Amino acid sequence: MNNKFASHLIIGLTLTFLIGPFLIIILAGLSAGDFMTFPPDGISLKWYIKVFTVESFRESFWLSMFLAVFGTICALVLGIPAAYAISRYDLPYSETIKTIVAAPIIVPGIIVGLALLRYLVVPLNFTVTLALFMAHTALVLPYAVRVVSSSLNNLRADIEEAAVLLGCTRLGAFMRVVLPNIRSGVLAAFILGFVTSFNQVPVSLFLSGPGVRTLPIDMLGYMEITYDPSVAALSALLAFLSVAIVFVAEKFLGFSRYV
Amino acid sequence: MSDTFVSLQKLSLAYGQTLVVPDLDLDIRKGELIALLGPSGCGKTTTMRAIAGLMAPQSGHILIDSQDVTRVPANKRGIGLVFQSYALFPHLSAFENVAFGLRLKKLANSDITKRVDQGLETMGLAHLAKRKPDDMSGGQQQRLSLARSLVMEPKVLLLDEPLSNLDARLRLDMRLELQRVQRETGITMVFVTHDQAEALALADRIVLMKDGKIEQLGTPDELYNAPQTRFAADFLGFQNIFEVVDQTIIGEGNALPLSFQTTARYLAWRPGAVALEKGEYEGTIKGVSFAGEQREFVIEAPIGQVKAATPAANPQHQIGETIRFHLPSEGACELSH
Amino acid sequence: MFQNRKEGIALALPAAVFTVVLFLLPVGILLSEAFKVDGLWSIQGYFDFAVKPLNQTVFLRTLKLGFLVALVSAIIGYACAFCIVNLDGKHRGRVFGLIVLPLMISPVARTYAWIVILGRTGIVNDTIIGLGLSETPIRILFTETAVFIGLLQLFLPLMIISLVSAMENLPSDVIPAARVLGASWFQVFTKIILPLTKDGLVIGGTLVFTGSLTAYITPAILGGSKVLMLETLLYQRVNVANDFVSAGIIATILIVMSFGANLLLKRIATARA
Repeated sequence: MNNKFASHLIIGLTLTFLIGPFLIIILAGLSAGDFMTFPPDGISLKWYIKVFTVESFRESFWLSMFLAVFGTICALVLGIPAAYAISRYDLPYSETIKTIVAAPIIVPGIIVGLALLRYLVVPLNFTVTLALFMAHTALVLPYAVRVVSSSLNNLRADIEEAAVLLGCTRLGAFMRVVLPNIRSGVLAAFILGFVTSFNQVPVSLFLSGPGVRTLPIDMLGYMEITYDPSVAALSALLAFLSVAIVFVAEKFLGFSRYV
Repeated sequence: MSDTFVSLQKLSLAYGQTLVVPDLDLDIRKGELIALLGPSGCGKTTTMRAIAGLMAPQSGHILIDSQDVTRVPANKRGIGLVFQSYALFPHLSAFENVAFGLRLKKLANSDITKRVDQGLETMGLAHLAKRKPDDMSGGQQQRLSLARSLVMEPKVLLLDEPLSNLDARLRLDMRLELQRVQRETGITMVFVTHDQAEALALADRIVLMKDGKIEQLGTPDELYNAPQTRFAADFLGFQNIFEVVDQTIIGEGNALPLSFQTTARYLAWRPGAVALEKGEYEGTIKGVSFAGEQREFVIEAPIGQVKAATPAANPQHQIGETIRFHLPSEGACELSH
Repeated sequence: MFQNRKEGIALALPAAVFTVVLFLLPVGILLSEAFKVDGLWSIQGYFDFAVKPLNQTVFLRTLKLGFLVALVSAIIGYACAFCIVNLDGKHRGRVFGLIVLPLMISPVARTYAWIVILGRTGIVNDTIIGLGLSETPIRILFTETAVFIGLLQLFLPLMIISLVSAMENLPSDVIPAARVLGASWFQVFTKIILPLTKDGLVIGGTLVFTGSLTAYITPAILGGSKVLMLETLLYQRVNVANDFVSAGIIATILIVMSFGANLLLKRIATARA
């Protein structure tokens, strides 16, 4: 076919549309001038540096990290047994359970944040951080269950039976035989959960307050009042972070298999 | 040739940077059943796809019925192609599959129905008209694929490994089917195969290909009995090929004297031509297998491995036995390269 | 070994309970506010909501953009998927990776880039003025067009992934077979590709549509209060007017639509299996 050129053109244009904007903000953040323009007037790293000096970003960065790491771990602790139960046992209402666990994704994030605020934080005196933590866990849980389920479904159940016949306890069999084999699925779920939590905005909107803000929320606030290129630099850095996490994941395993 | 129907002239075919077929010249006669035979990677399928228009040549020309179709796109060449995977449309019934090409031609509905019914009838599929391909057996699927191509009354019918997906019994049936179609319609047929038995059974002429070039072109008889190169001999079943120097056979650093005179550089024997239990050579039996009508032996001899076959009724031999054998002049094929 | 159901339920329970108690309950209560008027159960709230022109505009606009993004992403998606599927292995992996990459990046970053591009002093306007097509910068930001572009960029990868997956599952050689039987490329698309990939199209379309419906950041940044969508309206009602009833109503509408779409997806998934 002589359509190689057309083919490359179509793909090229689409990739430009999808990725071009990032390249642009990376460059816009490098501007030496004081206004957000593209092409930038001169090249300078001052705006990127400025981002690192903003105090609140550092705090919110760590909060986001904390939520992402521990929220995902918590989601895995809840989710792995659930995934195991769903895929290995013939449970009644397994469809219902799956739907319940998947529900958080369907509900608009703003409602989630608001509901938690009104019914958990205020009346029960939960701290905002705790509420955020639970919300993030609940949001990551569906991904954890789905990815780990997929991994488990690809693993034959008879190897556990073989292990038990050779003398293992059920838990032992799980630890020695199942876990090692779904390790890459778990890792994939962790990465997916981490990214989802880190980039989460709508839920965190209401649950944020002075001193307790996730990084994206902090950024939004900053963007509303700042108009210099540091905002572009900030976005670029955030994008880099997400990409870096994915590359690390790709190094360890080709995780698109499990999504 | 005046009855040349398909002509490939100085055809060069490449995938990306790799040149698969460097410079091919081939004339196919009208109404003949010709086979492109060769190992995988020899360029036979690539050549077929080029004839169909699914692949643009780097250089050269393809003529069909005296017209240069090199630049004509695949959907306008009037060629039929039966794919190895059958490529039936899973979302359409058998009837609609066969009708597909006719509908594109915007023929009248009654016309289409008539031709499709007839096409299905000829292939013995009339009772499956409403079925989907996934609900049909392998043999039925292939006949459907054939019907779909034939109903278009193509100038040339191309078939990609038509018998390789079928079990032994179906293979025989399909062979007869293809021969019948050829007889009744007189369509020029080109089929691609890696199986020499298939080619020998079906084809009027065989094009043996290697590395994108024609190794030998001839009738099945010529190829079977008189291969011209070691590759051809090997491909067509001469499993014992040895170099000859000064009236001795050389192999593995050893030499055995020949029992007859020859000027050839190489000699080749089929397993059946090797005489056992008598003869001037000796060797140890390394392998025995039973093949119904024959027993096959692998003999380790000073010049290398010799493969022999005798009628099954003959006495058996065990692995480890020493055995005498003879490489006679009858059945010896003389090769120069 | 897996006969003991109680065991299974015990394993799945923590996750389920966690979700129900700490998530579904609060949300459920909040949504129930939408069904109450002055503390009594009633759906009067819905009528009041539906009657206001602003709400109607926002609702219709959200639907419209949802469909539009789904439609355009389907067109671009098919073109892209077709090209990708014809690439050889190594390139295919790289291109696919590049397409999936934006999905991993925060919507905040993804959307903000458009401000730089579509703003008054942005690239598009600079080019337009530079080429002499207009005297003054044209307003692109805070229009439906801007939101459309932002949403399209956000969700196009999902459609492409879905369609590539569907096209990879096409039976081998059906496209060349149709070509040899006389079909033009357009006919190949309408008669072979479209019918055989329609599951992928529906899946991708549903993902894109629901994504667009429930997007917040992109409409917020690119549309602001001039181009309200259901989620940004929701936020506004709560933050500005403390109007939890409206919030609940909007949320219920969104949930019902998402849920409906997800049911459709599940129906298709099980039909395929």
